Amino acid sequence: MTTYRSRISLSVSALALAAMMPAGLAAQERQTIVHGADEEPATLDPAAVEPGEGGESIIFHVYERLLTVGPDSPELMPSLATEVPSLENGLISEDGLTYTFPLREGVTFHDGTEFTADDVKYSWDRVMELNLPGSAADILADKIAETRVVDDYTFEVTLNEVDASFLYSSVLPMTASIVSQDAVEANGGIEAADEYLSGEMVGTGPYTFGTWNRTENLSLEVNEDYWGEMANDNVRLELGVDPDVRVLGLRAGEFDTIETDPTYVPDFGDAEGVNVYSEGLLLEPLHIGFNMNVPEGNLPEGDTIPTDFFTDVRIRQAFNHAFNYSAFLNGALGGFGEVNPHYVPIGVFGYDPEAPVYNEQNLEEAERLFKEAGVWDEGFTVTVVVESGSLFEIQCLILKDSIEAMNPDMRINVLGVAEAVFDEALATSPVNYAMWAKNGDPAADPIDYLLTYAHPDGEWGEAHGFRQGYENPDEIASMIEEAAVELDRERRAEIIGELQRVLYEDPMWIIGAQEGAVTAYRDRIDGMVIQPLWPRPSINFAILDKTSE
Amino acid sequence: MQLRDYIIRRLIILPFLVFGVSVVVFTLTRIGGSPIGVYLSHEMSAAEVQQLEERFHLNEPLYVQYFYWARGALQGDFGYSGVASAPVSQVFWPKLAATLELSVVSAAVAVMLGLWLGVFAGVRRNRWQDHVTRVVAVSGASLPLFWFGIVLLIIFWANLGWFPVGRSDADIWASMPHPTGLYMLDSILAGSWRGFVDAVWHLILPAITLGFGAVAIITRMMRSALVEELQQEYVDAARAKGLPERLVLNRHARRNALVPTVTVIGLTIAFLMQGAIAAEIIFRWPGLGRWMASAVVRGDQATIMTYVLFTSVLFLFANLVVDIIYAKLDPRVRLGD
Repeated sequence: MTTYRSRISLSVSALALAAMMPAGLAAQERQTIVHGADEEPATLDPAAVEPGEGGESIIFHVYERLLTVGPDSPELMPSLATEVPSLENGLISEDGLTYTFPLREGVTFHDGTEFTADDVKYSWDRVMELNLPGSAADILADKIAETRVVDDYTFEVTLNEVDASFLYSSVLPMTASIVSQDAVEANGGIEAADEYLSGEMVGTGPYTFGTWNRTENLSLEVNEDYWGEMANDNVRLELGVDPDVRVLGLRAGEFDTIETDPTYVPDFGDAEGVNVYSEGLLLEPLHIGFNMNVPEGNLPEGDTIPTDFFTDVRIRQAFNHAFNYSAFLNGALGGFGEVNPHYVPIGVFGYDPEAPVYNEQNLEEAERLFKEAGVWDEGFTVTVVVESGSLFEIQCLILKDSIEAMNPDMRINVLGVAEAVFDEALATSPVNYAMWAKNGDPAADPIDYLLTYAHPDGEWGEAHGFRQGYENPDEIASMIEEAAVELDRERRAEIIGELQRVLYEDPMWIIGAQEGAVTAYRDRIDGMVIQPLWPRPSINFAILDKTSE
Repeated sequence: MQLRDYIIRRLIILPFLVFGVSVVVFTLTRIGGSPIGVYLSHEMSAAEVQQLEERFHLNEPLYVQYFYWARGALQGDFGYSGVASAPVSQVFWPKLAATLELSVVSAAVAVMLGLWLGVFAGVRRNRWQDHVTRVVAVSGASLPLFWFGIVLLIIFWANLGWFPVGRSDADIWASMPHPTGLYMLDSILAGSWRGFVDAVWHLILPAITLGFGAVAIITRMMRSALVEELQQEYVDAARAKGLPERLVLNRHARRNALVPTVTVIGLTIAFLMQGAIAAEIIFRWPGLGRWMASAVVRGDQATIMTYVLFTSVLFLFANLVVDIIYAKLDPRVRLGD
């Protein structure tokens, strides 16, 4: 809560400064930060955007949420709301069901209309009403019983049940962004708006939406009327830039910042004028999934495993022991990352550093477990499907090496396919592969991971038949459900730590690593920070400052 | 048959050909799987997938899907490009214009440079200038385009910083209207010298990359044709009657040597269209080729369909035009028999 007053005074002085300067002059002095981005946004609509997708970063800069997180810590901070609701300040009701958000006055949308509680209600209701496939609409729709406008600057929401992760998992994500009711209504209203909003934006954020030349670039302009601290420089994202061209372009000075992953860091060597930022970890664990739900006869050709192969916990443990963690971490990731306890990644609430994790290859233990499970002598062949050319594919190849080196009769086929083919394979029900690799969706609260990736009736639990695999599925389910509603932080952390231990004994994933937060940028950019809780590339352009070289 | 009748007959057949092509293309793209993949994420549930399939009629039989597609296409709706995050029809023209600009400039450079080099080497047969030209030509024809482009990129963009990549400086591009989508033309229309220089500056590296292979082919062809012509008796006759060598070359030999070379130039244009895909990817040129390449990789069938259909129609028309030109040039060519 340090900067509250200073932020206001700063913004006042910034406004005063802006008022003294002719508008044209102020605009002229702005530099443009050029970012070499990975993919084209699929949509710019908060109601449609998929977590982890390229459009999230644009939404992050142009729209705002009620709450936000700053660069240095995962603590929630006010944004369009002026206070973070808690039991202590009375903004969360005694029964834990009603959240009250006092809203900031005097904020205007980029089209000049005023921001009020109606816009908040409209934005959230719209997401829930549209409930678009692939979007994260369920983070609001599944939890909220009612939204209410108390007065112009007070918004209230009532939940279906007590939910300890509501602020992090529902208010912070891009899906909960506040759009302008007037702008949406003027362009076809809720129903038609998913088309309008997929390519147009009217928000309250530090940047206004500039132009979007499809497959080329997308520009953001400094919002000169921003209520908070004004951004320094305009931004242009160059879209769909090939990874090698991104690296060359940064060296050439064409780009100021680029989307990088650790595998590219060696390419910079001692390149002049290039800095590499590497602090902290991304919240997207790299994982290989076990599927226990493949119907008889549906496995890929060549697979010799029975369909209930992975219901045997010893086999899942053996895979986890056999994986060569250090080869992945120090080879593919160049040392940027940590071994990861997936279900509760390092950096989210409740992570217990004391709990055991698979972090070292232990071939004897793996051999013992394979033998005990009775699959060592006969061997097996299993296919793991993965997007070709990706980091995930390297993870699969390391698994293949690890397993096949132990016993040549145990074979892993790595099936690399195009992204669209992979997505289709995983969205098919049932999934016809016993193993697949990808990364987890980033989330701010451990319960999001646990529900999605560990709960026996959760998203993957149901799809992959975790119930048939867990020794004690009901216990795991009830622990996760308890952690979801426990408002006492200490008790909540305790349950989550306990879950980490249970899930170590009964693993449903092989977790290669938690990737390090790494980016490379020109040294003319001041103030580079990566906050994994901000959407990928986890950079907030509004706080960067580009100096002329 | 009269030329006019022939043209009319061909024009009547054209829609049927286009229909046939569209059926074939539609069927072939569907063999690669359902186009649904490009709309999915791996975290989607089966119900969500089904919802999307219903929305795009992908749960219907193939011929019904074709009907929906064809109905849309007739109304100018070619579907939604997952790669460009926009309707295909909205993105198509700007991309086509970018590719046209690059191909035309490369072709112009290749033809002019190729002809000049060919003559230069032909008249200096077996002297060192001829050998140097030959080395250049052979390397041009044999260097893979994608490799040559990357080398240029590393030297002139990443290391020396002389030339940019992409198609334009974003600020200059935004400073003028783009009625035609052809950047050079737009900048002339807008009276922007800065824009014109920017357009040319961005074109140099990709045009060299793309044109280099074509230069090589044209040079070789022109040289050998010229060498052959220069050995003809009419050249000796021309020299014998005392014509200056310049006139012998320009008025007689070069003209005749052009005939076979022009055939090769025709083939070269097709070569440029293919090469444009690689050049556009390397130099971040926002044209059809780059868009198409990502569409193929990501299974964006709406885009693939439109592209293939477009090129097919283009070739159908080109064939028609070529037939007509042949008939005009050489009365011995008989049409429609």
